Amino acid sequence: MIQINDLHFAYPGQQPLFSGLSVHLEPGSITGLLGKNGAGKTSLLKLLTGLLHLQSGAISVLGHNPRKREVAMLNDVFMVPEEFYFPRISINSYIKAYAPFYPRFDRAMMDQILAEFELRSDSNLQKLSHGQKKKFLIAFALSTRCRLMVLDEPTNGLDIPSKSLFRKILAGSLEDNQLVIISTHQVKDVENLIDKIIILDNGKVIFRQTIAEISQKVCFVSGSSYDLEGAIYSEAVPGGFRLMMPNGHAETEVDFELLFNAITNGKKIG
Amino acid sequence: METNNSFSFQRLMLLGKQSLIINKKLIGISLAGFAGTLFMLLVFFQYKSHFSNWGNSGYMLIFTFLFFVLGMIYSSLSFPAFRSKEKSMTFLMLPASATEKFVFELLSRIVVFIFIMPVAFWVVANLEGALVHSFFPELINYKFSFGKAYSEITAQGVEGWLKFLFIQGILFVFIASFTGASHFSKSPLLKTMFTFSIIVAGYAFFSYLLFKGLNIRDYNAGKNIFFMDKDDSIVFGAIAITLINLSLLSISWFKLKEKEA
Repeated sequence: MIQINDLHFAYPGQQPLFSGLSVHLEPGSITGLLGKNGAGKTSLLKLLTGLLHLQSGAISVLGHNPRKREVAMLNDVFMVPEEFYFPRISINSYIKAYAPFYPRFDRAMMDQILAEFELRSDSNLQKLSHGQKKKFLIAFALSTRCRLMVLDEPTNGLDIPSKSLFRKILAGSLEDNQLVIISTHQVKDVENLIDKIIILDNGKVIFRQTIAEISQKVCFVSGSSYDLEGAIYSEAVPGGFRLMMPNGHAETEVDFELLFNAITNGKKIG
Repeated sequence: METNNSFSFQRLMLLGKQSLIINKKLIGISLAGFAGTLFMLLVFFQYKSHFSNWGNSGYMLIFTFLFFVLGMIYSSLSFPAFRSKEKSMTFLMLPASATEKFVFELLSRIVVFIFIMPVAFWVVANLEGALVHSFFPELINYKFSFGKAYSEITAQGVEGWLKFLFIQGILFVFIASFTGASHFSKSPLLKTMFTFSIIVAGYAFFSYLLFKGLNIRDYNAGKNIFFMDKDDSIVFGAIAITLINLSLLSISWFKLKEKEA
């Protein structure tokens, strides 16, 4: 579904952001895109959706070159950006104005998700809070049933119940032919949602594995200073240490923050 | 079913429907504002001309002024999505081809204005004239007619290449503002006017240097600007402006195609 080969990109007058980045993504997963500030997560999402143009290399999204912004690709790709704009119209009017452009738009699904997010369809979009606008846009994105959905910091601005609802709705709405890429710093908000992780650093993909693969290779435990010797990576926490150990026996839940810090500090997990 | 990636009338209609849904209040307020302002302007100028001295030519002067000024301002508001990054992203991600988005902007900002504005002017002018006449019977020539104005213009010998030059010149004003709006994100009208002023001033200065500075011939601004006699310069000017208009439209199309957010 997504194939990136030897991508090179830099903003005018700035240092190269991507130098030979290559990655392949298949449908049927929710992929978390992680990286430090300035690593290029948002820029990569924009390159995938045709909002930015690469300098060299090749990107293929659903068999299309995103740079051409062909309609056949655009009506199968939806991006929920971190910052967005809505015209001064009601939710109903927005749906009437934009939904016809997406051939697979599901109005029943839209109404159902709006009800779960407690949004009224006669509400004026401009008068909603930032969190409510974000919920509406997520609902609209899911209802387009696009095969590729790109969410940039989707939980920013959502309250705690809404984050839980977002996870539940996203997990329950996806089909096998869909791919969702979530770029986020708030890994705890999506840790029960994503099934694959990509970590960007220094213009390249430095880590790409599924949660199942990670769980088989490493485990995440709490311990004391006596346990540090065998740990791949550790961090001090109140009461002791959080440790990433080679997985001997039982699988544990993936500690995304610990994993991210370990990988970006050069640790390998096999 | 394979998607037509180049141009679809159905998607063009969807763009029109979308624009009407989003802008219907603004369109209504703008039309009402235009009618109100025009009404007051006409009453003012008819009063200044003591009502009895008013005629079709008075209406045409005001129409011509408003046509160009409002047309330039309206065209300079093309591609409203380019004014901010967030709006640009939504616009570029909308499933319509660059050609459809371009054609829609062109139709809605230039073609629709060229047809709607004269109609709106005619309706308001005749309503205003009839209303003022009922209070001030000395306003005798209160009916406005485009046909009469057109006959007066053609009677002065405006035909053939000169007519074509005028039409292309009118389109140039709109197309230049339209292209400026595609190129400049902030204050497009001001930047467009500044850019074209520099180009025209530069060309005039170049021809001045050529003839006066290098002493090639006697410097005559009207003749030397186009390097030829009046009739030939009309033909040259008409063809040149047509080519400039087509070039400007191409520039704005490519700007849309290559736009990033």
